[in-house]
Amino acid sequence: MRAETLKGHLDGILLAVLEPGPRHGYAIMEALRVRSGGQVDLPTGTVYPALHRLERAGLVRATWSAAGGRRRRVYQLTPAGRRALDSERTTWRDFSAAVTAVLQPAPPVVSSP
Amino acid sequence: MNRQGGTGPGAGPAVERYLAEIARLLPGPPRAHADVVAELRSGLLDATDAHRSAGLPPAQAALAAIREFGDPARVAAGFRAEIAAGLARRVVIALLATGPLVGLLWVATAASSHLGTRAGGPWPWASQSPGLRVGICLVAVAVGITAWAAVLGIATTGRLSRWLPARPRRAPTAAAVAGFGAVSADGLGLLLLATQLATTSGKLSPIPAAAAAAASLTRLTLARRAARRCLAIRASLT
Repeated sequence: MRAETLKGHLDGILLAVLEPGPRHGYAIMEALRVRSGGQVDLPTGTVYPALHRLERAGLVRATWSAAGGRRRRVYQLTPAGRRALDSERTTWRDFSAAVTAVLQPAPPVVSSP
Repeated sequence: MNRQGGTGPGAGPAVERYLAEIARLLPGPPRAHADVVAELRSGLLDATDAHRSAGLPPAQAALAAIREFGDPARVAAGFRAEIAAGLARRVVIALLATGPLVGLLWVATAASSHLGTRAGGPWPWASQSPGLRVGICLVAVAVGITAWAAVLGIATTGRLSRWLPARPRRAPTAAAVAGFGAVSADGLGLLLLATQLATTSGKLSPIPAAAAAAASLTRLTLARRAARRCLAIRASLT
């Protein structure tokens, strides 16, 4: 899945990856790959500006941590981020249910004489 | 393989070249985006580690990490939009914070000078020269535009930004409009003061007038610089 396909859903996806607990940038990317079964494959470098945007929007909070000898910026959901994730989920469920229903092969039209 | 000279612990020359290319494409001095580069470096080191664990030798692992991070121009473009939004937000917050203060100094000047003491009422508009009345109306328009653009700037760079379609140029545009609006308001205020000094200087209270003029001159200079920076960063966004 390329970035264009994910457009509009990246925020929700990033928030979902952070739901279990705080992660740094590269761990977010790895979790994204694992959870999508390798289907989500964005250029890793583009995830960082997206995380900064979420931080500015108040949905995640970032702190520098030096665990393991390497300074990393660790992101965690804020309460507003959790609420945003909930609403992303609802929106996505409604949207995907509607699209699935429409995309299903329609039963053949029986023309009446 | 480690580069010496403070470029960062453990990053090889290929990674440092990649980071330097991104840094070159970011606006402002290097120290302004040192944190961004440091964060990307630690991510590239993590990626290199992951590729080494998967069996690649160190040099190849670093190159694989760079490939994985993607086109430096694209990464830089993402951060440029972020840096622009951050700058715009700081500019409009500064304008909104200083606006009422500068405004109060002008009101104090007007109230303690002939505007407020003549003809009984505090705002004897009818007794003023038409030029002064038009000038005051123009200042009010400039203040209104500034406040409107600044509030828009706050809204598009904060929590509300989630509900708006992503348009990277919106925030720096709003901030530039707010900045030039403030320049106009302050400039007009100073112009009105100058004309009053030239025609009816005896009626001005010197202390509030001097304070208002100094405040407006300072804000005019800073707002003009900030608005130009916003325009420059806006031009670099696609």
